[in-house]
Amino acid sequence: MNTENVLNLSSGPHVRDRWSTRFIMHVVALSLLPASVVGVAVYGLKALWIILVSIGTAVATEFAFDKLCHRPDTWKDGSAIVTGLMLALTLSPNTPLYEPFLGSLFAILVVKCCFGGLGKNFVNPALAARCFLLISFSNTMTDFSVDGVSAATPVAELAAGRVVNITQMFLGTANGVIGSSILALLIGGLILWSLDIIHGQICFSVLGGFTLFMGLFGGQGFDPYFLAAHLCGGGVVLGAFFMATDYVTSPVSRLGQTVYGVMIGVLGAMFRIFGGAADSFSYSIIIANLFVPLIDTYIISKPYAFRKKAIQRQNGVTPAPLLQRIPKPVVTLAVIALISGLALSGVFSMTKDTIDQQKLEAAWAAYQEVVPTAEGFEAVPAAEDFKGEVYGSGFGRVYINEVVAGTDANGDLAGYAIAVTSAEGYDGNVGLSVGVSPDGTVNAISFTELHETPGKGMLCGEPEFMDQFHDRHADAFKLLPQGGGTAENEIDSVSGATVTSRAVVNAVNAALDFYHNVIEGGAA
Amino acid sequence: MNHTFRGGVHPNDQKAFSREAPLRRFDPTGEMVFPVAQHIGKPAKPVVAKGDQVLVGQMLAQGDGFVSANIISSCSGKVKAIEKRRIISGAMAECVVIENDGLFTPVEGMGEAQDVDALSADEILAKIQQAGIVGLGGAGFPTHVKLKPRDPAAIRYVIANGAECEPFLTCNDQLMRTEAAAIVAGLRIMLRLFPNAKGYIGIEDNKPEAIGAMRAAAGDEFEVLALHTKYPQGGEHNLIQTVAGVDYPVAKLPADVGCVVSNVGTIYAIERAVAHNEPLFSHVLTVSGDAVENPGNFIVRDGTCFRELVEACGGVKGDGPRKVLSGGPMMGFAVGTLDVHVQKTTNGITMLSADEVEQAQAAMTACLHCGRCTTVCPAGLLPQLMAEAAEIKDYERYEKKLYGLECVACGSCTYICPAKRPLTQTFKQTKAEIMAIKRAAQAGGAK
Repeated sequence: MNTENVLNLSSGPHVRDRWSTRFIMHVVALSLLPASVVGVAVYGLKALWIILVSIGTAVATEFAFDKLCHRPDTWKDGSAIVTGLMLALTLSPNTPLYEPFLGSLFAILVVKCCFGGLGKNFVNPALAARCFLLISFSNTMTDFSVDGVSAATPVAELAAGRVVNITQMFLGTANGVIGSSILALLIGGLILWSLDIIHGQICFSVLGGFTLFMGLFGGQGFDPYFLAAHLCGGGVVLGAFFMATDYVTSPVSRLGQTVYGVMIGVLGAMFRIFGGAADSFSYSIIIANLFVPLIDTYIISKPYAFRKKAIQRQNGVTPAPLLQRIPKPVVTLAVIALISGLALSGVFSMTKDTIDQQKLEAAWAAYQEVVPTAEGFEAVPAAEDFKGEVYGSGFGRVYINEVVAGTDANGDLAGYAIAVTSAEGYDGNVGLSVGVSPDGTVNAISFTELHETPGKGMLCGEPEFMDQFHDRHADAFKLLPQGGGTAENEIDSVSGATVTSRAVVNAVNAALDFYHNVIEGGAA
Repeated sequence: MNHTFRGGVHPNDQKAFSREAPLRRFDPTGEMVFPVAQHIGKPAKPVVAKGDQVLVGQMLAQGDGFVSANIISSCSGKVKAIEKRRIISGAMAECVVIENDGLFTPVEGMGEAQDVDALSADEILAKIQQAGIVGLGGAGFPTHVKLKPRDPAAIRYVIANGAECEPFLTCNDQLMRTEAAAIVAGLRIMLRLFPNAKGYIGIEDNKPEAIGAMRAAAGDEFEVLALHTKYPQGGEHNLIQTVAGVDYPVAKLPADVGCVVSNVGTIYAIERAVAHNEPLFSHVLTVSGDAVENPGNFIVRDGTCFRELVEACGGVKGDGPRKVLSGGPMMGFAVGTLDVHVQKTTNGITMLSADEVEQAQAAMTACLHCGRCTTVCPAGLLPQLMAEAAEIKDYERYEKKLYGLECVACGSCTYICPAKRPLTQTFKQTKAEIMAIKRAAQAGGAK
């Protein structure tokens, strides 16, 4: 029994839970498996390659950093796998492979290792890398085209006021990033939540804050279809369950976590409603990440024995009922939220008239542009009958807003200006005025509303595209996606912006149809 | 109704090693060592000299002042020395060493039945003080002090702590099964001191036999609560939270919130002292772990050498222990040798063939900020932020903003930490440092 020399001494406790950092990281990675599988099933092997390159680069980068800097082997802890996988799931399946490579490199090397490795990064590495890629490769990062024909993500469609298929979004078969299957993400997220790996305070306050703000200020109230569509799109679920809950970049106390979650949800909804970018959810999480040190400094829960209720009990007082015990910060936050909400909606309604006025002036300027010889305009009453309804068939969702007849200095008819809007732009409405001379020739077109992708859809506003309609006589124009048109009625699409080009051509055709059938047809 | 507290962890309770081993009296043969400081408060002063003959139940050292406790001999024999010996904590401390004659001759009158009803409250307290009883749950707070709060009438809850939430330990389980009536009688004696109190007995629900035995013995007199099995259910704060629904800061005593909590072992000792005139010189103890041949539960005499007890269990098993703990693995101390001696508060010897701390140190990573420590902290602290503040020695934030001194070192945060960080250990050290700074500041101010 000569055991003395091998007895270990240490301070207690002397037993440890079986869960390790590695175990938790691997569980998180596994919880993303359903979403990855659906992504690969829907988008094919290219999605699998993106996932593999992203994970591989992340792990290899950390491995290389450990070796070069003579640090402990942190690449084994599984956190690089999670970062790589999360980044891959936020990418479009059409992303060229150098992007996940550069993204993972950036995430691990710059955001994680350079700030001290695991537990020291100040923003979520995967999201920071995604934002880095969005800024660096805005073209390919937002390329969700299917079989070479560009297509919009459901959130972009939603922003344009169009109908989206929620079932497809929920299942992940809609257009989007690799990890866009809400069902698969929910399965993974709820597993993590039930295992207590992620904190419910965070994910549910993100979803709650988002839904509430969307409902209050989204302009469509608490319409279940509208809210569900927004919740299912644009990475809200991925963000709420997997990104916002990132341990390192979320607060410690429960109240802090709730504040942080609501902040993400509200910011995300605000960016959706008032902002332009459909990828705004990433930014809202990154911004909230930056507030975490502040939250952890100021929103700290007291130990149980120092809470009001406990102190009352210690003094033999029975605590007041629940309603009177709502903590002050909650009341304060609610009041602040209410005031800012009212202020926001106030600003919106105050500026609404001005905006409308400006739109009207822009319209008159456009009429002048497309019927240059006109000295005055007079509305064509027949157009009133078509207001607010989709015009004709075969033009997509096109609306005839207003039709005016221009008269020249002699009082003779100079031509018609037809204001038309297509709701099928890549990023919302495309509004334009079409000038038609009395003989049916198109004078010119002029945009009154165009906010498409810079470098792509926006090129439709350039003379190169617009001038194709100049002085052309046709009953209907035909769009050539590949270009090379020679005939009078052929229009070359802006390369890579088929959606916008088609919207413009449809709008012009609708205007011509109106001219031929309504005005010439004798109704006016 | 689920009786539990917030937070806590579920370590493997490891009770199967010894849960069915009946309590055995163990009479040692070797020399017996009695440290004069086995309790919170001033060390006792020896009242015997080298060469004196002593008997079982005889006082060896007398409590120095009110907050102190008498030390009682558990054997008969000759005082061999009064000298510094290595004790369980690893320190060298003043001890009375007795050459055990193996006869265990008791002092006159010990074990005689007493008429408890005839005793006044003060007489009961005097007997408890005389018997050298301290809290046997681990802290070793003198029981006569605990039972004499400023206002006894304000005590509403007298709670017998039979939770035994520490892994491996089963001796209180066995004690409750076999001595239920005596524990109930002891609780009854305690309630004599508190006119407005009601008695409760809290037992974790992994001990159904003990719950059954105590319910049978308590009848309608006391409520036996089956507590959710979760560590640290037996912590004083957590038990009071569970039974009385009150949280209180470490600066307060249970009595300040109308509670008195005593371990069932202590209550048994009170019964022995008051009703049978038998001072505290023996108590229950579990020898367990995977590195001992036959784990068992004992009624062990104070001063017994660990080595004798391990041999009584058939000796070490396999390659022997990697780590030996006095107590259980959550709150116990690691001892460097088996040549240390049982004290009043020693409730277990745990022999482990593998050291999980060693393994944890190898697997340690940076803090993930996962928040598991915050979830399990039974005091509602934020261990993750406390560790950060301790690391940069921001003691102001540690104490004032994070209430770091409220940590009772239950070890739940260290247990649960997936990054295997030594949180509790850091907090113990930080607390010691802050206290040292405060003492220095006070000493400076006094000049």
